[in-house]
Amino acid sequence: MLMKTMIEPFRIKMVEPIKLTTREQRERLIKEANYNTFLLAAEDVIIDLLTDSGTSAMSSEGWAAIMRGDESYAGARSWYRFRDTVKDIFGFEQVIPTHQGRAAEHILFGVLVQPGMIVPNNTHFDTTRANVEYNGGVALDLPCAQSRDADSDFPFKGNMDIEALEKVVAQNTAEKIPLIMVTVTNNSGGGQPVSMANIRQISRIARAANIPFYLDACRFAENSHFIKRYEPGFENTAPIDIARELFSYADGCTMSAKKDAFANIGGFLCTNDAQLAHRERNILILTEGFPTYGGLAGRDLDAIAIGLREILDEHYLDYRLDSMRYVVNHLCEAGIPVVTPAGGHAVYIDAGRFLPHIEPLRYPGQALAVELYIEGGIRGVEIGSVMFGLDPHTGVEQPARIELLRLAVPRRVYTQSHMDYLLEAVGAVWARRKQVRGMRIVEAPQFLRHFTAKFERLQ
Amino acid sequence: MTARNWAEPYKIKMVELIKQTSREDRLKAMREAGYNTFLLRSEDVYIDLLTDSGVGAMSDRQWAGIMMGDEAYAGSRNFYHLRDTVEQYYSYKFTVPCHQGRGAENILSQILISPGDYVPGNMYFTTTRLHQELAGATFVDVIVDEAHDPDSHYPFKGNVDFDKLDALLDEVGADKIPYVCIATCVNMAGGQPISMANLKQLRAWCDKSGIMLVHDMTRVAENAHFIQQREDGYQDTSVRDIVYEICALTDAATMSSKKDAMVNIGGFLAMNDAKFYEKACGLVVVYEGLHTYGGMAGRDMEALSIGITESVQDDHIHARVGQVQYLGRRLRESGIPIVNPIGGHAVFLNATRMLPHIVQDHFPAQALSAALYIESGVRSMERGIVSAGRDKLTGENHKPKLELVRLTIPRRVYTQAHMDVTVGAVEEVMARRDQIKGLRFTYEPEVLRFFQARFEQIV
Repeated sequence: MLMKTMIEPFRIKMVEPIKLTTREQRERLIKEANYNTFLLAAEDVIIDLLTDSGTSAMSSEGWAAIMRGDESYAGARSWYRFRDTVKDIFGFEQVIPTHQGRAAEHILFGVLVQPGMIVPNNTHFDTTRANVEYNGGVALDLPCAQSRDADSDFPFKGNMDIEALEKVVAQNTAEKIPLIMVTVTNNSGGGQPVSMANIRQISRIARAANIPFYLDACRFAENSHFIKRYEPGFENTAPIDIARELFSYADGCTMSAKKDAFANIGGFLCTNDAQLAHRERNILILTEGFPTYGGLAGRDLDAIAIGLREILDEHYLDYRLDSMRYVVNHLCEAGIPVVTPAGGHAVYIDAGRFLPHIEPLRYPGQALAVELYIEGGIRGVEIGSVMFGLDPHTGVEQPARIELLRLAVPRRVYTQSHMDYLLEAVGAVWARRKQVRGMRIVEAPQFLRHFTAKFERLQ
Repeated sequence: MTARNWAEPYKIKMVELIKQTSREDRLKAMREAGYNTFLLRSEDVYIDLLTDSGVGAMSDRQWAGIMMGDEAYAGSRNFYHLRDTVEQYYSYKFTVPCHQGRGAENILSQILISPGDYVPGNMYFTTTRLHQELAGATFVDVIVDEAHDPDSHYPFKGNVDFDKLDALLDEVGADKIPYVCIATCVNMAGGQPISMANLKQLRAWCDKSGIMLVHDMTRVAENAHFIQQREDGYQDTSVRDIVYEICALTDAATMSSKKDAMVNIGGFLAMNDAKFYEKACGLVVVYEGLHTYGGMAGRDMEALSIGITESVQDDHIHARVGQVQYLGRRLRESGIPIVNPIGGHAVFLNATRMLPHIVQDHFPAQALSAALYIESGVRSMERGIVSAGRDKLTGENHKPKLELVRLTIPRRVYTQAHMDVTVGAVEEVMARRDQIKGLRFTYEPEVLRFFQARFEQIV
């Protein structure tokens, strides 16, 4: 019989106690953290939805791999197990381990991007954008039209706008576009997937123009499962085979293993270009580590190899996508504005519509993040004008395309009760939303300001 | 037999199996690795003395720390523990975690150095010098002359020669010297310590010139042990107190915790200046990770905090250095030419003396390292002309006075029997040294060439 209740395809083997706080304590704590959720001590958070990056629960197999790590500096067994697994799933010739995803991006863009160059992406994520801009490049977002319509039920809102891409490629020489990148799933755009058809078209455009095509692959398994569910022709294809096809259209990828590999640390960079890999390894040695460990402990290479296998399990992916949908459906039923359809790793509350009386440069997403922490001790992150509003080169601030509060769900960590508690807290803030005030930035650095910016509440 | 005054202050709780190989296997493996021990597979190595970095055995307490990781992206409790531990044992007020030592060097160099600067130091280290050069500085060696004489028994070969330092100051002026970089237990000199008296004099010199003093502290505990053993007035001071005193004489530090602190991954940048800390927080997020994890998993920060407390225990460091001294003394008794005095983390074979028939341009230390592997399966590292690289302006080989092979002892990993086997292996190589041939490059990388270079024998 087909059960309606969705259950986790695992049971709990190790727990981590959570400290509970009172509302009064949280009022004080968030003030001390300058109203920036990044600056809260983790132990003062009840449900931590700041990120799904590096915060997942490894399996007993993953922990066994941790114990099996070969920590030899050069040529460790862990390296070969890691490399062979990556090659098997991702299919690229060259595998370069890095301590995490942003280091892979840093190396890739450092080698390819020069001042004035343009990097098209469906939507750049924060560290990706920072890395492009740090090298003097222009990070150009080309999301598809449907992504702008919060109410649209189009299943592949992560797609790139093909016409816009064609225009950019036609208007610029190939030398000016060092690579085209697609983020799967599209994190800043609501964790929305990209269709295989879209990937094929982008690949065709890139190959015709002789421009390398890269995937930011950190949620490749979730994206693959969306394709299986919603793209005709893939109903009976296993996620691993969908992933392999996805990568077959690309020339390389960056990967943060802290997402779709269940790892607490680690990442890698892949390419089919041996010459390029050679240049990349020269930088790797300088900033990361020797090419057979790249700044990772042997045990972490082994844990990633296990995680990459586990993440592609169909039952796990069913559970993962269904649990996101569970939260989104309940929020919709309560009339709370949320990005739909449900994404793969996070719930995105539309803070602009939740708090329409707060203008974008008074940071409604940040204000909502602060209120949700005070209400329930839940930590989320603003994805809006705080994260993307400031051009670090001109110093000009403009409203972001959309003001969101992202509640990212760590993999295999929280139960349905935790999600029910979350729904209750969001509902309570919704009920008193008219009293929520905007924010002002008191102090912030030039790059990636959202991590360390200090805020004040407006009177 | 002399009565020994130490035994390992621990017993074995977990083992890792190693395999012996035949001479034919090793000949083949070495040829495939291009006569570069870095390119061997660890499973083909019997006793791995390539490095002491990241290869130490953690204690059961450190492993317990691994299980206590708080993997929250921001404000992990392991970060606060690490910060407090660094201040308690090393005196520095602010700590910025980094995925490993070179990550800290990268950030330090970018913040403090302006193009055209000079950075004096007590002998170069490969990655440190390269980061200084990339930031636009020129490294100037101000170590005492004794450091370059392998036969001198001077007890503090890591000392600074103030005539050299004054000469540089007179020539370029204090404005062009952003900081003096001082390593404790100088690796390239053979693991040689700096004396407390010399360091105090350096502190006074820096104060007078208004120049910052930065500490490369990766082997500070071993340096402290030598001060306790050799310097007047410190016989009754604990290693822990000496370590603190050393650190308190300096303004900032880079740490690769993969050495002294016995972790497999991790490091940090530490300082007392709040402005410097803020700059480092802004930069660490671009290269490493948010400033409360800096590219380290929470569990690794926890293991590091525990490792720091273990690393400064007198019994531990006595046994640690005692094992290295044991290996060195036995080699010396067999008539093997080694660097004197015996250092804290490694025994350095004098390849110039062992292979007088090979000229420096034919890489005697590289050849010796390859021969030692083929003979016995012991993996060592070249520290001579190959490691020294080329002059960034002339393109000529740097010709270091020391042409050495480093037998580096991982902490708490190998037993006395392993040391005895190593002695036997070196004796064998010594007996048939006339048959060892010089090498030439078949592939020479542009930067840090020793890591990935390939060679062939000159027949």
